[in-house]
Amino acid sequence: MKKRKKFSLKKKKNLPYGYVKPTNYRAIYEEQFYEILSKLRFPLMIVILFTMLGVLGLMIINNKSDGESVLNYLFHVVITFSTIGYTEGYTDNIPLNRAFVVMFIIITFPLVYLYGLVTMVNVFAASNINEIYRYWRMYKKMETLEGHYIICRFNGITREVMKNLRKRRIKFVLIEPDRNLEQDIRDFGVEFYVIDEPHKRSTLLGVGIDKAIGLVSAFEENTQDLSVIVTARLLRPDKDKFHIFATATTEGAAEKMKLLGANEVIVPDIAVGRRITSFILHAPSPVVSGFLEKIAYGEKTDIDIIEVKVEPDSELIGKKLKDIQMRQETGTTVVAIVRADGKMKIAPSGETIIEEGDTLIILGHPKALKRAQEFVREHTEKHKGEELV
Amino acid sequence: MINWGKVWSDFFIFLALTSNVGFIFSNDPYQLIVAVGVNLIATVLKFGAKKIFSAELLATALVADLHLIPSAILYFSQIHVQLAVGLAIGAAVANVISIILLIIEMVFEYIREQEEEY
Repeated sequence: MKKRKKFSLKKKKNLPYGYVKPTNYRAIYEEQFYEILSKLRFPLMIVILFTMLGVLGLMIINNKSDGESVLNYLFHVVITFSTIGYTEGYTDNIPLNRAFVVMFIIITFPLVYLYGLVTMVNVFAASNINEIYRYWRMYKKMETLEGHYIICRFNGITREVMKNLRKRRIKFVLIEPDRNLEQDIRDFGVEFYVIDEPHKRSTLLGVGIDKAIGLVSAFEENTQDLSVIVTARLLRPDKDKFHIFATATTEGAAEKMKLLGANEVIVPDIAVGRRITSFILHAPSPVVSGFLEKIAYGEKTDIDIIEVKVEPDSELIGKKLKDIQMRQETGTTVVAIVRADGKMKIAPSGETIIEEGDTLIILGHPKALKRAQEFVREHTEKHKGEELV
Repeated sequence: MINWGKVWSDFFIFLALTSNVGFIFSNDPYQLIVAVGVNLIATVLKFGAKKIFSAELLATALVADLHLIPSAILYFSQIHVQLAVGLAIGAAVANVISIILLIIEMVFEYIREQEEEY
């Protein structure tokens, strides 16, 4: 028993989700390629064996083993069983040679030509090597993905999600359990997709959940969403590092999903209803209608809204909004300030003083917003540096 | 029970070595043709074998082929017969490595079968 333990190569890690091997999608297609190769084994073997026997036979009959005749015999054998045969490879002792070749053809024509060569052609014709290569290349590239999203189920909702992610150049992997939708997925131009069950740990590990930053699950049925959410949360327990967004059909189900690990759950019916209501309430200006929603939903790519928390040791605290000159330096506008007690001051004037625990809500171009984030952080760090001096 | 598929492939792998060694000592053209043919068959039989050392086995077989084919060309064109024999010795070394790997493979498989029994 002791000896056997020495040989066991697998070291089982203590993972929170148990020992599950990720599905290696690339290896599946590599295996298919090897399968084709292994089908070629016997036909190729027959072809090589009879070529060798033919050359040897002609060498023995003619009792010649110099380089030129051997090459001639090889040539003769090859043109014989490939049924090309435009000239004879031997020059003397023709009757004996012909007798040998007749016997040779009777045996080798069915074996080498009809079995060997035809099977080889068949194997290549029946196997779609192009497809195998396409999948293999896709999954090889998928293995290098980092900081991507995982999207489960191909439907109207996820189509919209993918369209917007693509616009923002965020990489994603689609998991779809239904093989019939593969053609649609390909037509839609999804770069990485997997046809598999997303609630399996091996599938999620196979699409690199350990390197992903989020998951979207938008099934029509709550049960499927729930199983995906629970599995994903098992694999990535940290809610801040891995975001899970899902859809639910009822508010009750949405609540359950949140309790089981989803960051946000949307009930499509309610979301659409609310949006329509907002149109009714903000009627009838075509510009203002839904402007804020559009920003909030990230539909506009040239304007965005973020919130930045003012750290307790920031030098911005106690200063007037007009004195920090944020608009001049970064090109963004503070549209609201959320005080420490949760009260919101909308459209603050230049005289407003920034207090400890404030959160600034800033509107502007995405690039300018990055500058604004830098701006707030710099003022905190500068302050820290001064204290140290 | 004897696994006949295994007998086939092992037969050709061993024959590749023996015919190769035969050529080294006899320097005979017939033996060389047999060595080249058997080595090619041994290579083909290693295609798609799902084993632990399948990549290494295929690599050693390809090495042997790439020694023996130039060796045959050199030998039959009478340019450099000594080098042809030298190349055949190289191919024989590759064949020996291939057989060593095969034996290690057998040991691993034996252990795995034992583990599965428990």
